[in-house]
Amino acid sequence: MARTTDPWRTLTDPLIRQNPVTLQILGICSALAVTTTLATAVTMSVALTVVLTLAAGLVSAIRRHIPDTIRLIVQIVIVASLVIVIDQVLQAYFAEISRALSVYVGLITTNCLVLGRTEAYARHHAPLPAMIDAFGNGLGYSLVLVFVGAVREFFGKGELFGATVLPLVDEGGWFTPLSLMLLAPSAFFLLGLLVWALRSVLPEQSEAPEHTPPLRTEPAE
Amino acid sequence: MIRGLWNRETVALLLLAAYLPLALFWLRHGGTEALARLGLAVLVVAIWHLVFMLARAQAPSLSALITALAIAMLAPEGLGVFRMTLGISFGVVMGELVFGGWGRNVVNPATVSLSFLGFGFPAFAWPGFDDPVAWAAIPAALIGMATGIMPAALLAGAAVVGAAASLAGLLPEPVLLAAGVALVLLLADPVTSATTALGRWLNGALYGALVVLFSAGWTGAAPVQVAVAAALLASLAAPLLDDAALALWIAARKRRHGRT
Repeated sequence: MARTTDPWRTLTDPLIRQNPVTLQILGICSALAVTTTLATAVTMSVALTVVLTLAAGLVSAIRRHIPDTIRLIVQIVIVASLVIVIDQVLQAYFAEISRALSVYVGLITTNCLVLGRTEAYARHHAPLPAMIDAFGNGLGYSLVLVFVGAVREFFGKGELFGATVLPLVDEGGWFTPLSLMLLAPSAFFLLGLLVWALRSVLPEQSEAPEHTPPLRTEPAE
Repeated sequence: MIRGLWNRETVALLLLAAYLPLALFWLRHGGTEALARLGLAVLVVAIWHLVFMLARAQAPSLSALITALAIAMLAPEGLGVFRMTLGISFGVVMGELVFGGWGRNVVNPATVSLSFLGFGFPAFAWPGFDDPVAWAAIPAALIGMATGIMPAALLAGAAVVGAAASLAGLLPEPVLLAAGVALVLLLADPVTSATTALGRWLNGALYGALVVLFSAGWTGAAPVQVAVAAALLASLAAPLLDDAALALWIAARKRRHGRT
């Protein structure tokens, strides 16, 4: 964990170099579930970033008053209250998208990314750096979500934000959609390919091998 | 056994020899169309083997031909070059080459490709098999068992369940034929099937049971689709079955000797 005090580094580190989804593999269940279209992915990203930033600020503000033994309960109460507010806002103003997201907005409460950042960073830092770090992590999460959502909607439906980009065969065009892209496994594949690509470009992200292969022995003649 | 004779390529060659009767009968009945499918599959698989040789120094293997044959025989028809290429690339790269090449893969790359094509493009019809082509699976299995390349216990386990289900009238003939071809081409692969004797029996029996279950309960599924889905699940279960067989063996030894 980078312990830099430079706010710019704190903000930009989680985008690629310390990305919470591709490096720490946090919060992937929502990343898999809500990325069938770009609109839901963006909404989810915004909701999570807002919740994460506010929760980090609140937890950090009262960090000297939280008893250590019940700190998780306190953090979850704060996060859950914020999630309920966001959920109500979505239901009031974006009813369509709120229905598409179904339970996943509520499940931000248990998103390991939110709890991980409040537990690991906000509890030990002043409110402003904590909120910057949380915002950066939210942006990193959003980056992955938007990428996966864009690829899935583009190849699964030939659309972006609901606007037709590739005309479908059914409607007189030429593009046959990959219906696999709309199923959950494709998000796993895309995420795996993304992690693979990232770690090929930035080899310092890959873990040390857990096993050393045995020495290669030449076949006895 | 001569020392140094048995390496990965020997196994691949013998497996290829075992598949020859099946491939010849299929090509004879399929004509130029079948030849074109096989050519495309071989080309795509070979290119990926070449890419991984140049990028990761993974030795290419003759198993590329086996994978290509299985995909060409079982893939849905009328997919077109682009979709076939996509499906084959996905199966070969994600199913086999990223794990380090043939011999280190968890599932058969052909099974991965076929499942990808089946789930990704559900509108296309699966192929059927003429009787002579499906019967040619039997000499293929016999050659494989005689040379020790294909696990005999696995084939026997599947045959026992298949025979019992046929006698009980649970297995329609098209499903039986497709399941036989898929058993030889996809499941009886020495790399991804179970490796303990008990595990092999269970693996084969599980495949047979899954085929019976799917053909009875999966409405609207083509025979080959049933066989491919059963092969995918059965090969995913192979390590578990092996582990169960080992645990049983260790427990039996503990009971007999009082220690491990």
